[in-house]
Amino acid sequence: MPKRRDILAIVLIVLPWTLLITVWHQSALAPLLAIRKERFAVHHHRLSDEGAEGKKEAGGQDSKEYCASDKDIVEVVRTEYVYTRPPPWSDVLPTIHIITPTYSRPVQKAELTRLANTFLHVPNLHWILVEDSQRRTPLVTRLLRETGLNYTHLNVETPRNYKLRGDTRDPRIPRGTMQRNLALRWLRETFNPNSSQAGIVYFADDDNTYSLELFEEMRSTRKVSVWPVAFVGGLRYESPKVNAAGKVYGWKTVFDPHRPFAIDMAGFAINLRLILFKPQAYFKLRGVKGGYQESSLLRELVTLNDLEPKAANCTKILVWHTRTEKPVLVNEGKKGFTDPNVEI
Amino acid sequence: MTTRMKLKLKTVFVLYFMVSLMGLVYALMQLGQRCDCSEHDLPKDRAISRLRDELHRLQAQIRKLEATKQPQKQPPKSSLPTIFVITPTYARLVQKAELTRLSQTFLHVPQLHWIVVEDSPHRTPLVAELLRKSGLAYTHLHVPTARERKLQEGDPSWLKPRGVEQRNEGLRWLREDRQDQNQQEVVYFADDDNTYSLQVFEEMRNTQRVSVWPVGLVGGMKYESPVVEGGKVTRFHTGWRPNRPFPMDMAGFAVSLRLVLANPEACFDGEAPMGFLESSLLKGLVTLDELEPKADDCTKVLVWHTRTEKPKMKREDAMQAQGLGSDPAVEV
Repeated sequence: MPKRRDILAIVLIVLPWTLLITVWHQSALAPLLAIRKERFAVHHHRLSDEGAEGKKEAGGQDSKEYCASDKDIVEVVRTEYVYTRPPPWSDVLPTIHIITPTYSRPVQKAELTRLANTFLHVPNLHWILVEDSQRRTPLVTRLLRETGLNYTHLNVETPRNYKLRGDTRDPRIPRGTMQRNLALRWLRETFNPNSSQAGIVYFADDDNTYSLELFEEMRSTRKVSVWPVAFVGGLRYESPKVNAAGKVYGWKTVFDPHRPFAIDMAGFAINLRLILFKPQAYFKLRGVKGGYQESSLLRELVTLNDLEPKAANCTKILVWHTRTEKPVLVNEGKKGFTDPNVEI
Repeated sequence: MTTRMKLKLKTVFVLYFMVSLMGLVYALMQLGQRCDCSEHDLPKDRAISRLRDELHRLQAQIRKLEATKQPQKQPPKSSLPTIFVITPTYARLVQKAELTRLSQTFLHVPQLHWIVVEDSPHRTPLVAELLRKSGLAYTHLHVPTARERKLQEGDPSWLKPRGVEQRNEGLRWLREDRQDQNQQEVVYFADDDNTYSLQVFEEMRNTQRVSVWPVGLVGGMKYESPVVEGGKVTRFHTGWRPNRPFPMDMAGFAVSLRLVLANPEACFDGEAPMGFLESSLLKGLVTLDELEPKADDCTKVLVWHTRTEKPKMKREDAMQAQGLGSDPAVEV
C-alpha cells in the first residue's frame, strides 16, 4: 500500500512538470510554425496574383502578430474600384519622383495623356515634367491640371546648336539632357538631404510603356536599382547580368557592352538621398558618345557592385522602349487644312 | 512518528502538485495570448508592421471614400450603361506593351467590358495572362484571318484591311451573349495602338444610335472630324476621299448595342475598298442625319490614332543567326 502511494506521489510530481515542459516547447515552436505557414501563404499570393476582387484574406491573415524575422511580404491588394484620381497619399511609402522631358510635336498630347493614365494608378507618385520650350505651354499646363496628379511643371529650352537638326536621329546629341538636369537641380533645391523624406528618382520618357509592377519594384531602391528594358539596343531586350549572389557583374547587350553602365534611361532608378548627397552629379552635356549618357550620371553616383537587380533578378520585362511613329500629315498641305485652334 | 512524517510528506506533495498545476494552467493561458515580441523586434519588422497598418488604413480610407463619393457624383455602378470595347490584336513584338498600356487606361473607366479578339487559331497564353492580371472585366476571343487576306511581311499597311474578321467575331459574340440584356449599352472599336483619353468614354456612354467625334492624327491630317451645324452632322472634315459615305476612322464612332442587335446582318465587309471599312458597317445601321455629335459638337480631340514603330531588331537577328539570340523564354 505505501508503495502504491509513493508511486502515486511520484507520478503526481512528475506529471505537471512534463506537461509544463512540453507546453513550453510548444509555445516556442508554434510561432515558428506559423511563420512558415504564413511565408508559404504570402508566396502563394505573389504567384497566384491579384484578381479584380481584392484579396482581403491577406489582411485577415496578418491580424496576429508573430515574432518573426526576415519576413518577405509583398502585399499588393487591388480592391474592386475604379477611380480617375490618384490613390490617396501614404505617409509610409517612398515617393517616386518621375522626371519626364517632353517637347512639342503632334503626338505630344496623346503621349502625355496615356502616360498620365498609367501614373494615375501609382500611389505616392510625383511627376516632374520638363518641357523643352522657352516657356511653359498652355497645352501641358492644362493637361497636368486636369489629370489631378501630383506634379511639378518646369521648362528649359535646349539651345539650337544642341538640338537635333530637323527630325533626323543624330545619336551624338543626347536629347532631353538639359531638361533632366534641370529636374535634378530642382530636386536638390527643394529637398533637404537631412530630412527623412524617402524618395526614388526615375527617368521616364514620354513614349515608353511602363507596367504598374515596375513602380513597386523600384520603390525599395536603396542606392541604384536596375532591370531589363525591352526593344533597346536593337534587341528584344537588354538586361544586366546578375550572378548567383544577386550582384550585377556585366551587361547583356550587343551595342558596346563595355560601357560603364550599358543600360537605357528607363532601366534604372536612383534613391533620392544619393542624388542629394552627391550634388555634383549631372548628365554630361557635351562630348558624350552615343549610349554613354546614362553612364555619365551613374558613374558619379554608384559602382557596379552597388547596383540592386530587380524584376526577379532581371529576368522579367516590366518596361518597353516603345516609340511612336511620326504621324503622316501630308494632307495638311502648306497652309494647313485643319483649324489650328483645335488642340491635338 | 512515521505516520506524521508521511502525513507531512503527503501535504508537501499535495501542495507541490497544486503549485505545479497552477503554473501549468498559467502557462497554457499565456499561450493563447499575443506574443509580446519586444525581444525579437527588429527595426525591419517594425517597419513591416507599420507598413501593413498603413496599408490597412489606406484600404479603409479608400473604401470610405468610395462609399461617400458614389451618391455624390456618379449614379450607382449598375445603372451606368456598359461600354463594350472590341479590340482586335495580333502577335508581334510590341503586342504586350500595347495591351498593357491600353489596360491601364481602361482600368479608369467604370462599367467597361473589354472584348479582345486575337488574330490566331487559338488563345495565346501571353494575352490570356495579361487579361487575367489586368483587373478588367473581359472576354477573350480568337479567330484567325484567312491567309489570302493577311498582310505579308513587307506589305504596306494599307494594302489589306486588318482586323475585319476579329471585329466581326466580337459583334457575333455580342449578338449571341447579350440578347436579353439592358440594351442601353454601347459598342466601341478600339485598336490596340491608339491613345484614348478618359473623357471619350464618358462622351460615348449615352449613345442612342451612333455617336461620332473627331480623331487626332489620322487621314494624313492633324485630325479628322465630322462637321456639326445646328446640332447635326452635315458633312465631314477630312483630307482623303471625303466622298465616302462615312469618312471616319474606327476610333471616331460608337454604336449602341440596341442597333447592333436590331441589325443582325450588319458587319464589316473585308472586300470593301481601302478606307471604306467603317462605312461598310455604318451604312447598314444609320443615316447621316441620325448621327449624334459628341465632344462639344465635335470640336475637341479626345482620341488619337497613334501608331507604334516597329522596333529595330537587326542586332537581334544577327545574334540569332549566330545562335546567341536573347532568351526566348523571357516574355517581351
